[in-house]
Amino acid sequence: MALARAQGLSVTYPGARSPALEDVSLAIEPGELVLLLGSSGSGKSTLLRAFAGLVPHFHGGRFAGRVEIAGLDTRRRRPADLAGTVASVFQDPEDQIVLTQVAREVAFGLENLGAPPAEIVPRAERGLEAVGAVHLLDRPVAELSGGELQRVCLASALALEPALLLLDEPTSQLDPAGAEALLELAAACGAAVLVSEQRPRPALEYADRVVFLEHGRVVLDAPAAETEGWLAAHRPAWVDDPPPPERAPVGDVVCRLRGVSFAYRRGLPVVDCVELELHRGEIVALTGRNGTGKTTIAKLAAGLLEPLDGTVELRGRAALLLQDPGRYLVRERSDEEVALSAGGDLERARRSLAAVGLAGVDARHPRDLSSGERERLALATVLVTEPDLLVLDEPTRGVDPQRKAELAAELRLHAPERATLVVTHDRTFAAAVADRIVSLDRELVPV
Amino acid sequence: MRAGPALAGLAALVAAALLARHTLSVAAIAAALLVVCLRAPASRRRLYLVGTLVSALGLFVITPFVETLGSHPLWTGPIVPVLGQLDVTREELASAALNALRLGAVGLAFAAYALLLDHDRLLQAAGFARRSVLAVALATRLVPTLERDAAGLVEAMRGRGLEVAGVRRRARLLSPLLAGSLERGLSLAEAMEARGYGRPGRTSAPRPGWTVLDRVALAGAVAVVAIGALWL
Repeated sequence: MALARAQGLSVTYPGARSPALEDVSLAIEPGELVLLLGSSGSGKSTLLRAFAGLVPHFHGGRFAGRVEIAGLDTRRRRPADLAGTVASVFQDPEDQIVLTQVAREVAFGLENLGAPPAEIVPRAERGLEAVGAVHLLDRPVAELSGGELQRVCLASALALEPALLLLDEPTSQLDPAGAEALLELAAACGAAVLVSEQRPRPALEYADRVVFLEHGRVVLDAPAAETEGWLAAHRPAWVDDPPPPERAPVGDVVCRLRGVSFAYRRGLPVVDCVELELHRGEIVALTGRNGTGKTTIAKLAAGLLEPLDGTVELRGRAALLLQDPGRYLVRERSDEEVALSAGGDLERARRSLAAVGLAGVDARHPRDLSSGERERLALATVLVTEPDLLVLDEPTRGVDPQRKAELAAELRLHAPERATLVVTHDRTFAAAVADRIVSLDRELVPV
Repeated sequence: MRAGPALAGLAALVAAALLARHTLSVAAIAAALLVVCLRAPASRRRLYLVGTLVSALGLFVITPFVETLGSHPLWTGPIVPVLGQLDVTREELASAALNALRLGAVGLAFAAYALLLDHDRLLQAAGFARRSVLAVALATRLVPTLERDAAGLVEAMRGRGLEVAGVRRRARLLSPLLAGSLERGLSLAEAMEARGYGRPGRTSAPRPGWTVLDRVALAGAVAVVAIGALWL
């Protein structure tokens, strides 16, 4: 008997013109790992929320069909009643942390479920141990990196010992090694797992089955072994490695970092004696594990941070796209948001919106856009400045392969006009877009 | 020391500051609270201390103009509609100083609560009204969260080649900051519901017992209120 089942599920959010999910039927067996693929806005997060009971109880809207978890109808049971049988990890770890210390944060769910007091601490510790984060036990959550927070959130879910684990793009902030470790852990935890991903490659190795969503409908529900062939035939952008770019001749030096060091706290250098040159006409990808100082180097190059030691020479104007698109939402209309970076020039702003695939959203409030659209809006706000140095920090986070290919093409097209530095965990994207890859996992080689 | 007795101590100092009648007594309580606040890291305490200082100074400046007290005028000004004759007397200045110090003491006590107390432990210690205690704990975290969000917005603006200088430009960030915090609040509420918050039969992880220091602190808190009411 299936552990979780959706039958003829259709969901339309309040105020939405089209349904987020339409006639979706899906069954998940105990212990099975189901990989949920689909482009941004295809309904992956809505399906995960429906299995958690959050749709319809928390979000409202129109709900048709039925979802059952271990025989419980989610229309009649609130999400809090399903908690424990189901555990969720959402996309952004910062938005789901309730308490201020790791051990208590992991214990929060157990306390809510009424676990016997004597079992709470050992189960919280086991959850942290399972994700290799037991050393974080006494740390304040405010001091953790994005990757560490992600592991704490997963530990909080595993501590509940759920029958069904729902993971919404859990590897989006992790480096490749961290992402593989997390997926391996999810596959071995014993629970049925429904995991949505934008990077199919590592996840496919651990999946039993793959469901591909498009415009709210299931277009593929097949064993993982058959999926690669289907993707290659029908959605090649999801599996084909794009060809490496043709190297263009490079121009003058736009930015030069010489012996640059920086520390947020005295005595704890984040970057130490970095040498890097960025030329007009080239795209450089900066890669490395979580916590190796990639974002700090990006901010130093763009002039947002002053080095403690060494020099940063910048010839011309720099623009930096930070990781969180929420930081780029300060106006009431999308075109005005972009125009803010272009001295109020609405025409240029609309062209920039069209260039990132957002033609026609001019009058929409930026906060009404989906997360994928917000990422693109943020990109438009920096591209419109026509900088001499363009610095992008994790521009493919939460972006589907099709959109990644378009972004790579856009960056290549305009590469001769500027120097471009792309900070990324995404090896495929780095290979597709960069003339040169600088890895911080090894010592940074002077160029 | 446990968070409960520490909170009781802060509440007692606030009560004593509000009950005390002598300016010097209230100044001494405010000074003691300031010393406590200075234990927090400089970068975190700055916003709270500046906010407290500005509020207290504002009250000190406004009070003499809206209060009518005393018979020793130091300055007599024009007649203003609604407010009447503006004047400042010695007694009004003394009253303004006392009230400003009281407000300062309340602000510093809140700063100490926000900066130094373990809110998770307070939540654990709450035997009743847990929802209210959690709401207060989350609201307390709003100040540093907003501060971090504001820094993020300014950083993003600089990344777009825009400098955010001056009060007017900074004031324009208030609306997106508020919208962002509302969005975050919704996400947090969703995550809490998914983790079983609000389900009946909640339990708590075992807590360490009360130490001698905790008991002394609680007794001291009661004594401070009594002293404030009777002798200060």
